[in-house]
Amino acid sequence: MGELKYELSQNAYIKLVLHARKHKTAAVNGVLLGRVSPQNDAVVEIADSVPLFHSHLGLLPNLEISLIMIEEHYSAQGLGIVGYFHANERFDDLELDSIAKNIGNHICRYFPQCAVLLLDNKKLEALPKGKDRSPVMQVSAVFVCIELSNYGVSVSFLAIKRFWL
Amino acid sequence: MVTKTEETQLNRLENQVDNGGGGAWEYLCLVKKLKVRRPDKVLRHGLSILNDPKKRSALGPDVWTLYEQVSIAAMDCQCLDVAKDCIKVLQKQFPESKRVGRLEGILLEAKGLWAEAEKAYSSLLEDNPLDPVLHKRRVAIAKAQGNFPTAIEWLNKYLETFMADHDAWRELAEIYVSLQMYKQAAFCYEELILSQPTVPLYHLAYADVLYTLGGVDNILLAKKYYASTIDLTGGKNTKALFGICLCSSAIAQLTKGRNKEDKESPELQSLAAAALEKDYKQRAPAKLLLLTSALKSLKTS
Repeated sequence: MGELKYELSQNAYIKLVLHARKHKTAAVNGVLLGRVSPQNDAVVEIADSVPLFHSHLGLLPNLEISLIMIEEHYSAQGLGIVGYFHANERFDDLELDSIAKNIGNHICRYFPQCAVLLLDNKKLEALPKGKDRSPVMQVSAVFVCIELSNYGVSVSFLAIKRFWL
Repeated sequence: MVTKTEETQLNRLENQVDNGGGGAWEYLCLVKKLKVRRPDKVLRHGLSILNDPKKRSALGPDVWTLYEQVSIAAMDCQCLDVAKDCIKVLQKQFPESKRVGRLEGILLEAKGLWAEAEKAYSSLLEDNPLDPVLHKRRVAIAKAQGNFPTAIEWLNKYLETFMADHDAWRELAEIYVSLQMYKQAAFCYEELILSQPTVPLYHLAYADVLYTLGGVDNILLAKKYYASTIDLTGGKNTKALFGICLCSSAIAQLTKGRNKEDKESPELQSLAAAALEKDYKQRAPAKLLLLTSALKSLKTS
């Protein structure tokens, strides 16, 4: 199968990064909302994101209610849940834990091109130190993108539309 | 664990100090008393006091606890030089002190030198086998290295001796939840509820874990604990109200086939839904429609 591209909008990116920065000592997560691009089937536009929790990520009731309400709210805008975002508690932890995998798999059942974004804490820490105000495309590498698609297609490219720092 | 009034008081003081309105020492004392984690603020305001010789002498003997508090905050913010300086001052004042020895161990942890920190704590523990902070630092080392089985083992051993340490039970429960070991987490919350039955937080967390475990019996029990949370908080806890609706809907789904266990009246669910709607009308009227459609989908699903 071909390459899949994901376009992460500025809004979505900023919300997730800010959420992670606000809760520096906890694991955080969030959902990504978007749709398959109407112009190109191989591109998924991630238009928005909703930060979810910063404690007890493994508990079901809050997750269920949040997902119900998020889906209701965004389906009115034509967007659906297309992915999941996770940031680990420990600085050097770059592995997706079982909670994130389970949620990712669950979303995958409804949207096969689901993306799971894992925050790279080291790059996040380096963020405020860069004084560059020009559009910084390589900041997109803040996320280590791991795709859990059933088709075994590896994520090729993570682009950020019109991102500036 | 902080109550709402304490949290508002803390935030108010924080705002006041941040905007130059004085009261830094009260803020730092409150942070210490409530055991909350605000390392950047503590560092900033603590250093402003410590670097000013007049303010320092005004504190009298309390200045040493401030040095300790600021050194820990500095380590939390990875400002290891500041931390080292504070510890040096304390070492000069209190040579051979075990409390300062603890701080040195924490500094080794902050540098990532786990083995050395472990050794330091073990030697300190030989002289003080009953120091809870040292035991907990060892658990923290294991957790920081991502070694959860060891952390759990140490924490369980600690709790065999210090059974009344509620924070430790909560920490153990949270570790279990993060590893998805829900049955064990439920046990921890049961211990907490037994020892402090009037704290709604534990009832709520227990109900959440039970719901996550799943199965009709667990969900029925979860519903009871959501109800007790609502009782203990006077109906103000939104999570518990949602929990009731979720439980009722889950039970209805799971018992769809068998129809005569129906002693669960639908009243509780409709009462909870009504309370939620009233709350949203007051606090978030824009989201009221969203709430009603979510509740409707819960009822019909």
